[in-house]
Amino acid sequence: MEALSLVLDGFSVSLQPINLWYTFIGVLMGTVIGVLPGIGPAAGIALLIPVSYGMNPTSALIMMAGVYYGAQYGGSVTSILINTPGESSSVMTAIDGYQMAKKGRAGAALAVSAWGSFIGGTIGIIALTLMAVPLTKIALGFGPPEYFMLMALALTAVSALTGNSPAKGMLAMMIGLMIATIGTDLQSGQMRFVMGIPELQDGIGFVVVVVGLFAVGEVFIAIEEHFHSRSEIFRLQGKLMLTKEEWRRSLGPIGRGTIIGFLIGILPGAGATIATIMSYSAEKNMSKHPEQFGQGAIEGVAGPETANNAATAGAMVPLLTLGVPGSGSTAVLLGAFVMYGIQPGPLLFQSRPDLVWGLVNSMYVGNVMLLILNLPLIGLFVRLLYIPTGILLPLVLVLASVGIYAVNGNIVELYLCLLFGVLGYAFRKIDIPLAPLVLALVLGGMMEQSFRQAMTISGGNPKIFVSSGLTIGLAVISVLVLAVKFSKVISRRKNSGEVKSATI
Amino acid sequence: MIDRMILFVTLIVAAFYFYGTSQIPTLEIGDPLGPKAFPYLIGIGLLISAGWLMLETVRAKKAPQAEPADSTSQDHSHLVLLSAIVAWIGIYFAVFEHLGFLLSTPIFLFVLMMYLNRGKWLANGLTSVIFTVAAYTLFSKVLGVSLAKGILPF
Repeated sequence: MEALSLVLDGFSVSLQPINLWYTFIGVLMGTVIGVLPGIGPAAGIALLIPVSYGMNPTSALIMMAGVYYGAQYGGSVTSILINTPGESSSVMTAIDGYQMAKKGRAGAALAVSAWGSFIGGTIGIIALTLMAVPLTKIALGFGPPEYFMLMALALTAVSALTGNSPAKGMLAMMIGLMIATIGTDLQSGQMRFVMGIPELQDGIGFVVVVVGLFAVGEVFIAIEEHFHSRSEIFRLQGKLMLTKEEWRRSLGPIGRGTIIGFLIGILPGAGATIATIMSYSAEKNMSKHPEQFGQGAIEGVAGPETANNAATAGAMVPLLTLGVPGSGSTAVLLGAFVMYGIQPGPLLFQSRPDLVWGLVNSMYVGNVMLLILNLPLIGLFVRLLYIPTGILLPLVLVLASVGIYAVNGNIVELYLCLLFGVLGYAFRKIDIPLAPLVLALVLGGMMEQSFRQAMTISGGNPKIFVSSGLTIGLAVISVLVLAVKFSKVISRRKNSGEVKSATI
Repeated sequence: MIDRMILFVTLIVAAFYFYGTSQIPTLEIGDPLGPKAFPYLIGIGLLISAGWLMLETVRAKKAPQAEPADSTSQDHSHLVLLSAIVAWIGIYFAVFEHLGFLLSTPIFLFVLMMYLNRGKWLANGLTSVIFTVAAYTLFSKVLGVSLAKGILPF
């Protein structure tokens, strides 16, 4: 009962005018970021961190979460109208969405995306609320060894499941951990890997890395593609409404998409992209007319678009209740929490219930706003697609630079950001996924801390990591994930027809 | 080919990382593990991923024509272009504090736009100036973030 009143109290936070305003700003920016190719939610959130320094943490986090789930709405627009998914989680939408647009049903495709996103997102938040309280009760019993194994599992899963090569995923994870060890060791005060550069004493700021990898690196990729041909933009045809028949066909996919999306979203490593792939294949398998898929079947838009929004709600579950994110974007969100000196996890539900439930409940409001932004007003956002990329990309570069400079007023960080931009470009080219890198970077410090604490408790005996049922369970799952992926790679490497998945 | 390069670079990085770890001074205070243990673990992890990558590469070679060799046969003119852009960004950063945000940014933007968005003098010029002024106003006046002033008095 007490938990329920805390949840309801959260509304008094999220309905404050100032927080409503920041919810609006967040979801608006999320939609814009989703629509614009070249800048994704991870970079968008990272760029907001320096800008929101002086803000009250609750409002700032409400805004950044808005960017995160808002981007899933906007992502469908480019998939449907120009066959160019803005985010990897909109790749599946492009298959049938673009075909619908070709047949003059772009309006219906956008409408079903918006409605599916709204339903999936909202039910996802309810499920998130229901799961959060019992999960935090369990998580309160976690000690350093449990936390270490949990983070190891999250990293293993993300490394193994993003990208086509688990070896490259693991490599990315190790690079992220390496970057995390640069700077002053917090427990002994020793400098590590500073290489005589004074700016490195405080470590490499995670905003620098994320903006470099995601914003600057993405701009380089986009510049390269800029000189290749571009698909034509379909005009928004047809009313943004569904016929009765289309509604009837969409309800099932929306319902299943919600369940698939939310459950997959909770799991580390899987995330929104895999949820969309699973939803799409589920709909195709269940359909009486699987041959229509790829030709403009509305089910192929409704299911995945619902699933990716339900997955964002699901991904908030481990982030908020355990403090361990399971994807690149939520890792950036965790970074934002930490910047404000707030550690998500079970204790936060006790110490700052106003913040937690204010944030969660703001997502209901945000989803309503997104529905309005994406149905009647989508025409405005579509115009963004007509901005020449030759103008847009330089502007993104300046925004990234200003954002980085605003953090510490330090030019060295700008050069570092450029370096990570080049790395981000190169990693995309050679197929090294970025999500494990970012997650490892954010978790690295906490992981080392819990590792050393656990070893101190056990007097240096590593058996502590397999001493309880929970740690053994986590270890077994990690090994299983690796083993399954490993055997797949060994057995059918040539079968690379699967969707090129995704950084986030 | 590319995988072999990655492998090579990984091994070099691992060697440097191990060397760097061995250079961390340790004192007999603090926790028993000290600041070296975790980096050593990461170094070992790096070697394991290199080994795994090697295994994948070998397997891929056995599978007939697993990866189409499109990336290597492409022409590399875009790399020259991107290097030029990276250099231009580097120059922008180098003069950023000396010239100040308000002077360096429009120049940076205009040149880059003239390259990427050819022939649109007016649109590019206007966007460069208006965007700079808007960003400056937003950051230094509204958000209170100080941007480099440079040689301008405001």
